[in-house]
Amino acid sequence: MQDLLMQFISNTGFALADYRHLIMIGIGMLFIYLGIAKHYEPLLLVPIGFGILLGNIPVFKGLGLGIYESNSVLHYLYFGVTSGIYPPLIFMGIGAMTDFSTMLARPMLMLLGAAAQMGIFLTFLGALALGFAPNEAASIGIIGGADGPTAIFLTAKLAPKLIGPIAVAAYSYMALVPVIQPPIMKLLTTRKERLIKMEEPRTVSKREKIIFPIIGFLLCCFLAPAALPLLGMLFFGNLLKECVVTERLAVTARNSVIDTVTILLGATVGASTQADVFLTPQSVGIFILGALSFGVATASGLIFAKIMNLFLRDKINPLIGAAGVSAVPDSARVVQVVGQAEDPTNFLLMHAMAPNISGVIGSAIGAGVLWSFMMN
Amino acid sequence: MGLEAIAEHNGWSIALLGICIVFTGLAVLSFSISRLHKLLNLWDNRHGAIRRIRKGFVSSRNQGPRIMVERSAESLEETVRQYHMLVGTLTDPFALPDLLNLAKKRGLYHPYSTVNDLIKRGYIQPDQKGFFYWKQQTLTKK
Amino acid sequence: MPVDINLLKTIPIFEDICKINLHKLASIIYPVKVSEEEVLTRRGNTATSFYIVTSGNFMVFFKGGRSFTLHSRGDVIGWSSFLTPFRYKGSSVALTDGEVLCIPAQKLLRLIQENSELASKLIQKINHVIQNRLPLANGQPVKDEAAPHTA
Repeated sequence: MQDLLMQFISNTGFALADYRHLIMIGIGMLFIYLGIAKHYEPLLLVPIGFGILLGNIPVFKGLGLGIYESNSVLHYLYFGVTSGIYPPLIFMGIGAMTDFSTMLARPMLMLLGAAAQMGIFLTFLGALALGFAPNEAASIGIIGGADGPTAIFLTAKLAPKLIGPIAVAAYSYMALVPVIQPPIMKLLTTRKERLIKMEEPRTVSKREKIIFPIIGFLLCCFLAPAALPLLGMLFFGNLLKECVVTERLAVTARNSVIDTVTILLGATVGASTQADVFLTPQSVGIFILGALSFGVATASGLIFAKIMNLFLRDKINPLIGAAGVSAVPDSARVVQVVGQAEDPTNFLLMHAMAPNISGVIGSAIGAGVLWSFMMN
Repeated sequence: MGLEAIAEHNGWSIALLGICIVFTGLAVLSFSISRLHKLLNLWDNRHGAIRRIRKGFVSSRNQGPRIMVERSAESLEETVRQYHMLVGTLTDPFALPDLLNLAKKRGLYHPYSTVNDLIKRGYIQPDQKGFFYWKQQTLTKK
Repeated sequence: MPVDINLLKTIPIFEDICKINLHKLASIIYPVKVSEEEVLTRRGNTATSFYIVTSGNFMVFFKGGRSFTLHSRGDVIGWSSFLTPFRYKGSSVALTDGEVLCIPAQKLLRLIQENSELASKLIQKINHVIQNRLPLANGQPVKDEAAPHTA
């Protein structure tokens, strides 16, 4: 009897735990706290935080419990991440909930989204300089796109071992967009520039909104075929929304599908973030580079907007350049808040959505480009 | 590590080419979209028919039904007298919330709807600066 | 219970919005009956809702005693839902029994993000209201032509 009891105790989490499990559990609880108490991206941080708790309960290997054991439930659910299924489904939901009108009304604002993607490639260089392998550096660089699904998609293809820290870094910085961006925006713009009121965009016809996802998909995927899964689903979801005749499907895509996938993706990515992978000097490097990439991406968009204003008669408010990072719609809201702090009647939200959305397209193209380079 | 690592892995070329491809892709898309609505217009015009829909912003305010408390001339006169006295104790112009608080303290009947009635009848008028003043009206029997 | 779309068509702020968007708005708006002296918003509270008057009379008052009254169908209360820090700048109270349409601010903001045509039309109209009322809320001098109408 005593032997049985000792055997039971030796298999409990209390006996198997070490300090690293406790640190990770603390991190998971911090994410949950930030999501619930501080309202920092709760839809992402709460699943990821709880996933971290799930993945860091000390268990006896071989019982089919851990996420990396091939016959465990978590492993089956994690398949959607490692195989790259979940991110395209999320993109479909994003396409089904996004109105591309502001971008269609003023297409030149798309260049701000392009400029912000410099953060991806500059971070790629920084990661190479720090000694990361090219495929790892590409996965780290994509954090600069400020797009969680894209980061997970590319990392699953190029550096699956780094999914945990990269996903956590990407989503953490997305949640911290309202904290990271405003100081950079104020530093790089003058008050006079922040007060610029932009003219009302033209009305976009229904036909344009229907034709755009088809043309956009064909152009982007002919240029970067590796972006097909992400951009294909993005434009597909948008077509479902805009053509009206498939409104039911669009509603499902932007509600049930995206919510279900977000739950599974968040929980399994969190569970994959285990101490032996996460608590390493490499992860520290990833987090530092991730923060830098966000900053660079924000600054690139802002500076490019100021350069554009040198040639434009109808000036654009350079703050919207910061929305070129593809954290939709958070960075557009941040632009709105910073703009309204100067002038409460200056409603920049819809103008900022244009570079915000093009940032999503740009980061997906960037991911496709990096994937195709790394495949060769 | 460092710049040698970047050069060793062809990092500069990859980064430069990657930025150019992303820029080119979005620039081409942007250009295509900017022409799209013009192409669609040309297509519409092919039969010589041009249809434009303009919707402008027109501001109009519909007056809702006025809710006026039906009062007899005598009770209205009494109400006017009471509130005139209260207004007399306040600053000129006065803050409307102050009048309401005072009326409540004095136990007057339904002070909020009464004040509303006085506003509608023109006894209490705004000074357009957020405060109000009393304007004596000639009572008319309803 | 969602509001009837025909009712929305009669309200000035929604008068030039297309049927599809009116349906979307109708799904998030609901009517609320208010009684005399009932408080709709309190200065300093989180701005969770935006109200449109359909009947009744209301007073909105700010720090320092400044106030104005609303008597018309289509008047709006709670524009702070659109401005940081998303806290009501004034308190509003019903002067008489009436009814308002309540729009949860988060749902409206999400609808605006998904639909730029609707956003453009609504924001123009709300901006007009904000421009008129902000000086009062901030205790600044008000130009005569900018002050809100009362009766």
